[in-house]
Amino acid sequence: MRNQYKFTVVLLIIGFMVAVQYNSVKKPEVRDTRDVWAIRQELAAEKKIHSELLSDLRELDKTIESYESSKEENAGKALLKTVDKLYEQAGMTDMKGPGLIIKIRPSAESVAFGLPIEGVSPDLLTRFINEINRIKGNSIEIDGKRFTSLSSIRDINGKTTVDGLNVSVPPFSVKIITQSFANSEKLYSTLHASEIHDEFYLDNLILEIGEPEKEINIRGWKERYTNLYLKELPKGE
Amino acid sequence: MTMWLPFLGLILGVTLGLLSDIHIPQIYGNYLSIAVLAALDTLFGGIRAHLQQVYDDKVFISGFFFNIALAAGLAFLGVHLGVDLYLAAIFAFGVRLFQNIAVIRRILLAKWMEKRQGSNAENAK
Repeated sequence: MRNQYKFTVVLLIIGFMVAVQYNSVKKPEVRDTRDVWAIRQELAAEKKIHSELLSDLRELDKTIESYESSKEENAGKALLKTVDKLYEQAGMTDMKGPGLIIKIRPSAESVAFGLPIEGVSPDLLTRFINEINRIKGNSIEIDGKRFTSLSSIRDINGKTTVDGLNVSVPPFSVKIITQSFANSEKLYSTLHASEIHDEFYLDNLILEIGEPEKEINIRGWKERYTNLYLKELPKGE
Repeated sequence: MTMWLPFLGLILGVTLGLLSDIHIPQIYGNYLSIAVLAALDTLFGGIRAHLQQVYDDKVFISGFFFNIALAAGLAFLGVHLGVDLYLAAIFAFGVRLFQNIAVIRRILLAKWMEKRQGSNAENAK
């Protein structure tokens, strides 16, 4: 009987050793087969998310700060400020800031030859807006109509419209407010070097890009948004 | 003779090892595999001795630990000398393992035959 105990202990040790060996051998279950490039790409994606989160965080921190600083005086004031800021972002308020005025007018040749002046086509106008938006954070007004991220440029009965309002036949002007004066200068250079001039010239139009100015006024978009999907909850629920 | 107790020990050991989730670093993997081989060799040696009625407690237990230590030591020495000495251990233990198992098989076979002849003789009576 004593032998049995010894055998048991020995077998226990053997079993343990075998199990540990088994564990160690099958340890690398999934091999990492990504190459350096794939890892770099993943890293880049993660970094992008990281920076986005950081900027979100900064924004929220600012909001918290403004709420806290104005808590004693008036909590509603901060709220109003936020609403104002949102209106501004949505392009519903008049704006003032550094920017450019671009005039679109018929080319000298077309005037000399007496060619009929046609309006700017929606495609060309869209391309032009895209060109302007190479520099981020601009506020744009086309022929007195505020162009926001929700605005549309369409052809309605042969006329080019912005948000359903006709854009007049050239000459008319496009006003752009940039985030800073430095951005205005950058936009000025970008537009000067752009191929968009050729596109306009094909339609017998020329772009006259004005020098960056310290202060430009543009109008807000006065219509209300039609909200189809979000509804206010009744109070007390 | 009841066999369940050693068997239970084996199962317990394996479960313990699997549950503990211990990993041996790859460089020490050789040592462990040789130790396992040495342990198995001693175990089968013990069983054979038991069946041949020459079993000795002290020899078995000392052999078990000494063989494991010797095998691991040999492997260690081999690594440091640049000679694959662990192959010698594998060879020695492997051969002995097969011999021991062969002897055990013969003894069990002989016992079984004896038993059958005995029962046949009883039936013939």
